[in-house]
Amino acid sequence: MRALLAACAFLGGCAVVQPPAEPPLGPGEIRSAPAALQALALGKSRKADVRAALGEATVIDFESGYEVWVYRERPRDKAPPPAPELVLLFAPSGVLAKARVR
Amino acid sequence: MAVVSAVLLLGFLWAPHAQANDAVVITALRDPVAKSYRRMIAGMELFEKRRGLAPAASLRFKLLPRNRRTDMESVQLAIEGSSFWKALEVAPDHTFTLERHDAALKENASVMPDRKAGTLTWRAEIRTPGLPPDTRRLGDLRLECEVGMQARLISNYRPLFFGWMDALVREGPEYCRRDAPRYLFFADRPLWSVTLVAGARREVLPVDRLYGGASRDPDWKEDLPYCDCEVLMDRAYFLPLGDPSWPDDTRVEFEYMEGGA
Repeated sequence: MRALLAACAFLGGCAVVQPPAEPPLGPGEIRSAPAALQALALGKSRKADVRAALGEATVIDFESGYEVWVYRERPRDKAPPPAPELVLLFAPSGVLAKARVR
Repeated sequence: MAVVSAVLLLGFLWAPHAQANDAVVITALRDPVAKSYRRMIAGMELFEKRRGLAPAASLRFKLLPRNRRTDMESVQLAIEGSSFWKALEVAPDHTFTLERHDAALKENASVMPDRKAGTLTWRAEIRTPGLPPDTRRLGDLRLECEVGMQARLISNYRPLFFGWMDALVREGPEYCRRDAPRYLFFADRPLWSVTLVAGARREVLPVDRLYGGASRDPDWKEDLPYCDCEVLMDRAYFLPLGDPSWPDDTRVEFEYMEGGA
């Protein structure tokens, strides 16, 4: 009986210590907006580079050829909305022209 | 003729908030390019009543393009009643002012551009002189919203298809006193960011307050033809007009897509 209790305590302990698996990021989601910004280069990064680094964005494309790409940090349980966001502006040439973290 | 009458009747039935005398609002398209002179005068009266929001500013009205084909050059504008007629001078920036004419009020006249329905939209333009370039003043914009709502300047083809636009067509100036009304302002050029500055406090608007909220609306392109922002989406922004923590003297700073780092 003691052995059984010890095994239960051991297993329960393991269950508490083991962190829950984090679900994969969805489209337009990133883990850290400042870290994502660090991975990009104004005037150099192109759309394909950004997509490869950060995944799919929420894209607002205008007739002028400019595109605004939006990534948002996944909302944390106790963090007040809105979630931090990374906003990118691509010039009609396809090159990253501006970026901001809010 | 029966078809025309039926369409007119439907237009009437679908316009429950149109007042009996607002003849220009009751049309087959529900999107007349003309506006009610009475309503616009009511907007001017509200401007005087609420001008504490913008004590040094003056009021003009502004015409804006509603689609890419709109020719904004040489727009002719007039007040037209059953017998009253007066031409209005439109400035090169497409703004104009109105004067009060009792005869035009009595005849429930319209303010009528020489452009077809669906080609133009309207806004109030209230600017305090002497502001730095690429800035506006929040109190001016609060009053622009109130005058615009009072004068019913926003046009929308099929309001039911663009939910939040529906409120803009139906509601009055009190709409502007909500925390985050979705009254669309348009900057002079395509926008990259909008920042509110009051003393040492500085806050960049979240991207969902730019571009008509498109970043939260996956269907924004389908809805676009029904919004009077159709060709101005890249200039469109909302402001926290009803948030009292931002004083009327708050500076609204714009950074544009072109230019700057």
